[in-house]
Amino acid sequence: MRNRSKRGISLKGYMAVLKGSIMQGLSFRASTYLRIAGNLVYLVIIYFLWKAIFASSPTDTVNGMTFYDTMIYLVLAAAMFNFMDTFVVWWIGDDYQTGEIVLYLTKPIDYQPYLFCARFGNCVISFFVTFMPTFIIVYFVTRGSILLGINMLFFVVSILLATAVNFCVDFFVGTICFYTQSVWGVNIMKEVVVSLLSGATIPLAFFPAGLRRVVDVLPFQAIYHIPLHVLTDKTMNIVDYMSSIGIQLLWIAVMLGISRLFWKVSVKGLTVNGG
Amino acid sequence: MEQIIKMENVSKEFKILKRREGIKGSIRDLFSRDYQILKAVNDVTVDIMPGEMVGYLGPNGAGKSTTIKMMTGVLEPTKGQIFVNGRVPYENRTRNAQDIGVVFGQRSQLWWALPVIESFRILKEIYQISDREFNDNLEYYDALVGASELYHKPVRQMSLGQRTLCDILAAFLHNPGIVFMDEPTIGLDVSMKSKIRELVGALNKEKGTTIILTTHDMGDVDALCRRIIIIDKGRMIYDNDIEHLRGFFGAYRTIRIQFDRHAQKLDDEVLKHQADEVEEWLRIKFPHAQSIAVSTEEQWIQILINEDEIHMMEAVNCIQEHRQIADMNLQEISTESVIRKIYEGGIV
Amino acid sequence: MKKKKQGFAYYAHIYKMILFQDLKSKMSYRADFIISTIGMLFTNVAGFISFWILFQNFPEIKGWNYYEILFLYGFSLLAMTPVQCFFDNNWNLMDALYTGNFIKYYFRPINLFFYFISEVFDIKGVGQFIFGVITVVYSWEKLGIVASFRNIAGFFIGVVSASLFMVAIMNFAAAASFWMSGGTSQLMILMFKFKDYARYPIKIFNSVFQFIFTFIIPIGFIAYYPSLYVIRPAEVSVLCYLTPLYGIVFVYFSYRIWMKGARQYSGTGS
Repeated sequence: MRNRSKRGISLKGYMAVLKGSIMQGLSFRASTYLRIAGNLVYLVIIYFLWKAIFASSPTDTVNGMTFYDTMIYLVLAAAMFNFMDTFVVWWIGDDYQTGEIVLYLTKPIDYQPYLFCARFGNCVISFFVTFMPTFIIVYFVTRGSILLGINMLFFVVSILLATAVNFCVDFFVGTICFYTQSVWGVNIMKEVVVSLLSGATIPLAFFPAGLRRVVDVLPFQAIYHIPLHVLTDKTMNIVDYMSSIGIQLLWIAVMLGISRLFWKVSVKGLTVNGG
Repeated sequence: MEQIIKMENVSKEFKILKRREGIKGSIRDLFSRDYQILKAVNDVTVDIMPGEMVGYLGPNGAGKSTTIKMMTGVLEPTKGQIFVNGRVPYENRTRNAQDIGVVFGQRSQLWWALPVIESFRILKEIYQISDREFNDNLEYYDALVGASELYHKPVRQMSLGQRTLCDILAAFLHNPGIVFMDEPTIGLDVSMKSKIRELVGALNKEKGTTIILTTHDMGDVDALCRRIIIIDKGRMIYDNDIEHLRGFFGAYRTIRIQFDRHAQKLDDEVLKHQADEVEEWLRIKFPHAQSIAVSTEEQWIQILINEDEIHMMEAVNCIQEHRQIADMNLQEISTESVIRKIYEGGIV
Repeated sequence: MKKKKQGFAYYAHIYKMILFQDLKSKMSYRADFIISTIGMLFTNVAGFISFWILFQNFPEIKGWNYYEILFLYGFSLLAMTPVQCFFDNNWNLMDALYTGNFIKYYFRPINLFFYFISEVFDIKGVGQFIFGVITVVYSWEKLGIVASFRNIAGFFIGVVSASLFMVAIMNFAAAASFWMSGGTSQLMILMFKFKDYARYPIKIFNSVFQFIFTFIIPIGFIAYYPSLYVIRPAEVSVLCYLTPLYGIVFVYFSYRIWMKGARQYSGTGS
């Protein structure tokens, strides 16, 4: 914790918040089922769409990706979106607009980890309820095209790191709401930018070289592209894996720093101007 | 005169979900669920005459808002019949809505972003209020509470009190026969409360509007209602004049005492502890007295007794035996205590 | 009091009033308005970019070339303008139910669905509309379609009918919140995502899913079927001609379900 002299809530406290958010997530039965059904239909759409696209291509492999690779990449990207999209921007925006943010500032907690725990419950549920089944189905639909080796280990680690990068980006964007009065507008811009530049809509491998160079120096690829690349690219060796993880760690450090700094400055502005 | 509202043996049941505990329970809830039947309103029969102002009381979850929802046509009763202005509200919701007004203390029904006057103009069109009626009402409102100062302010920028005021005015705009009010004074400060009460009283008197008022604030009841209906656990337990009710408790007195002369702020817990002690002393001394109730308010300990059972001086002496009383005063029983007595299953 | 008449003119008048007032107050949140419009523009630009990237790698999809699919894309944007502009309040339904604020809609002597939907006019849809017009005109030009009466009239009727489907789909999805106790409008999010795939020819799917996307979740009608009339007259099927009628039926049912939901929902609150 940042300030040890202040009485902060303990790790146990954060765990209780996390547990509560898991239980709340589970109570919405219908929406849980819908998410699974939705992922399945999405999988079907992606399957047929890309099958048609690849059927129109003279070669089986385009930019180093086969039809199955593309499927795995895109369907899992959608499933990841499902469990990573925890509406953090909305929550911050809402807490700001209702003035509840001030309440959090008076409590002995650090808002950022608090929010992470409060929203991470959804991630945990979605991971098991929607991501895992989707993964298994994709595995069978693509007839075992997913390599089940050391890459799986790095994939899991990479997904966890991706969640952290995503959260930091969301937190940063959420803080922008302090200045804009507009949560919807800010959030939609973020979603669009992230899903395009992270490879969630079209794998980065298909991007023209110029655009690719731009995308490579932005943090968004660390959210979807890196874990999925780790999973699907069969040519990677241990050094490649490690460097992928390294890039993610770097982005976590950078985004954590920036988002916390931005938050601190914004909160200061809030208390000075009296929100 | 014909009743404006007529409820005959009305019941309403809900199916509610029983949730299991813990994460394991939540996971099990995903697959199978338990429901239970809740009787929110149970065999209620009420007649209300035009122009009456009725206080509709009951503890939280007693079935008050369910009743209001049935009278406004939002809910259909499970059993029994309701007539409002001679119509069945659920079957004629929009027609019924033309002749009623509704105010919810904590949620505004006006357009959030619009200045009040614009909301009023939209309501004028929705209810098809004639220009004359509309202008007469605006003038009347202005004379009554100086409403025109608020007309150009958007609802979102108003204080809760101003918003409630405007919501009440909006509910009367189309000159409905009945207005339902759900806790209109909730969350307001003392002066705003009395302003709202005056307004409601005036509207009832001068327009002859029937008003059904649900509230937890006995100040509202004292100021406005002659007749009260009390409902508890879905059943109607009282329907009569408020004076009649006080008559039952004519021999009741509230003794208010303090132990510490300079009444520095006592901790709530300390005060509560003192009150518990007092109650124990009295119960030991007067084991047959049913009526003793000890509570705390601000810095005072309040002791409710029935003089038919214990004489006031006996009670005071009993307390004095244990501890010196520093300050004391005496009150008639308040409506508040009467109602609490009834909720607790007292005499009626 | 006597029964007052509430005809089409009455509702049109009230809608107009609320709309103008709403626009006036929206203008007072200028920053929000500008940022939201830019956000909407972002979605369209990003949609276009992903399109473009795709066609950098693949020259065609199942015999459909870049301009044809671009036409479908523009067509779908136009067809989705009404749902965005006029029916956006459906997105707030779940929240209104969750907080209990929905109760207030029952107290007015006016159609419940109308009263709820009239509350929000979303001007952001206009940006989408403009983007759609540009895309359609550009691809129309590139495809060399004759600007005959047949084509232009067919196009307009097609867009209007197609827009009914999107309205109906979102109504159905929103109405589901009356029955589900969910924290999010999951079904609406899902449908909103699906509509992105309305821009591809439905022939890419196998027969089972062609059936589903024609009759159950009819995204095929948002662009594909009505567009055929203009861009591929040779492939026009009876479904294409049925679009307007079918759209009206579908919207009507979605309205009935929504109202049914609203009536039965009130039976669960306390």
